[in-house]
Amino acid sequence: MPVKVMFAQLASCWGCHQSLLDLHETLIDVLPQLEIVFWHTVADYKLHDVEKLPDGSVDVGFTEGFCRNEEDLHLLKLTRQKCKLLVSYGTCSTYGSIPSLLNLYSIDEALSRKFKEAESVVDGRIPDKYVPKMLEYVKPNREYVKYDLFLPGCPPEPPLIAEAITSLLRGEMPKLKERTLCDECPRIKSEVIVLKKVKRDFEGIPEPEKCLLEQGYICMGPATREGCGAVCPSAGFPCKGCMGPGPNVMDQGAKMLSALASLVDYESVSPEELVKTVKDVIGTFSRFTLPSSIIPKSVFKKK
Amino acid sequence: MAGDFEPKILGIFCNWCSYAGADMAGTSRMQYPPNVRIVRVLCSGRVDPQFVLKAFELGADGVLVAGCHPGDCHYVKGNYRAERRIALLKEMLKQLGIEPERLMLRWISASEGAELVKTTEEFVNMLKELGPSPLRKTS
Repeated sequence: MPVKVMFAQLASCWGCHQSLLDLHETLIDVLPQLEIVFWHTVADYKLHDVEKLPDGSVDVGFTEGFCRNEEDLHLLKLTRQKCKLLVSYGTCSTYGSIPSLLNLYSIDEALSRKFKEAESVVDGRIPDKYVPKMLEYVKPNREYVKYDLFLPGCPPEPPLIAEAITSLLRGEMPKLKERTLCDECPRIKSEVIVLKKVKRDFEGIPEPEKCLLEQGYICMGPATREGCGAVCPSAGFPCKGCMGPGPNVMDQGAKMLSALASLVDYESVSPEELVKTVKDVIGTFSRFTLPSSIIPKSVFKKK
Repeated sequence: MAGDFEPKILGIFCNWCSYAGADMAGTSRMQYPPNVRIVRVLCSGRVDPQFVLKAFELGADGVLVAGCHPGDCHYVKGNYRAERRIALLKEMLKQLGIEPERLMLRWISASEGAELVKTTEEFVNMLKELGPSPLRKTS
């Protein structure tokens, strides 16, 4: 009997679903075993298609994206209700990811920037009819509903998805790897790292085989969970931390901030210089995890 | 009311200098504001940014990190690390809408009991002017 699955898209960019399609031939083995009951990203399903399903009738549900408005929240709660097993699919759903950096601003500021102040807008107004109400700020989905499995990654890499889906089909619970990205990164690392200079990503051309952090680039490897196969560092681009923090870490950004500060050579890099190079501290260190950090949002000044 | 606001301060002091400095202030019977709750760590380099963020999240009005003077660290480089961490953390707090002045880093040696008294007094007065932390839970 095929396994019933549903895919719910909340506020997100569709990239995770695209990554699912990147499974290519693996899909041929997997698809016949699945019965898709809802996937409004790729076919014309409506919300009432989910609403009329009996509770707990779907075997596995995948959620992509976070809750930005009340409709997202409704769909998320509905998905939890209808599914026996709920999988958080992608970093948006698991930690909040890049769009949630909007937590640094109030929703009013954001709406007015988008609909009134953007350079291309003439006589803008904020839409208020026929649109769902925006939520004040982004919370990680797990604070709304209970999840059974998290598959982080922006997007999750196809091998990770394939492994998760095939083990779910076998009736086993997939396990996330527990080490940090550096453990699976193929770059050559020395025992002790001392940074004489911290570089921004665009400065110079990185050496092809040496650890990027050792070369002075801010690579989030030490504070990031492994599982993506170190695709970015292998291609010469520093890790940005999309897999989220490793086990037992509360705040990925704080951990990486701490790591970087202890790696710099105190005689060559002054604190002021370090701050100047990093520039956007939250955007650099908590890029993917702001809503699940210790302080998840900016404190908006009351006027 | 601004008048009767008493800031809650978390002090994270290094074992070898600042904590001994606080001891010095105590044994010399120097008076200093009771607003600061001191936690001892082995080195200011042990202060994980998560400690500081957690303190603010729980409603601390200020965090005072104190360690040995540059060059005096028992573990050679711990205080330099702390210095860089605090600098980055202040930026992080700024982005989160918390006044960076609420986080203070000071070098206080074992003999500087008087310096500790002065620092806490200054910090308490500054926080009284700033008012309660925006994250403070109103009771």
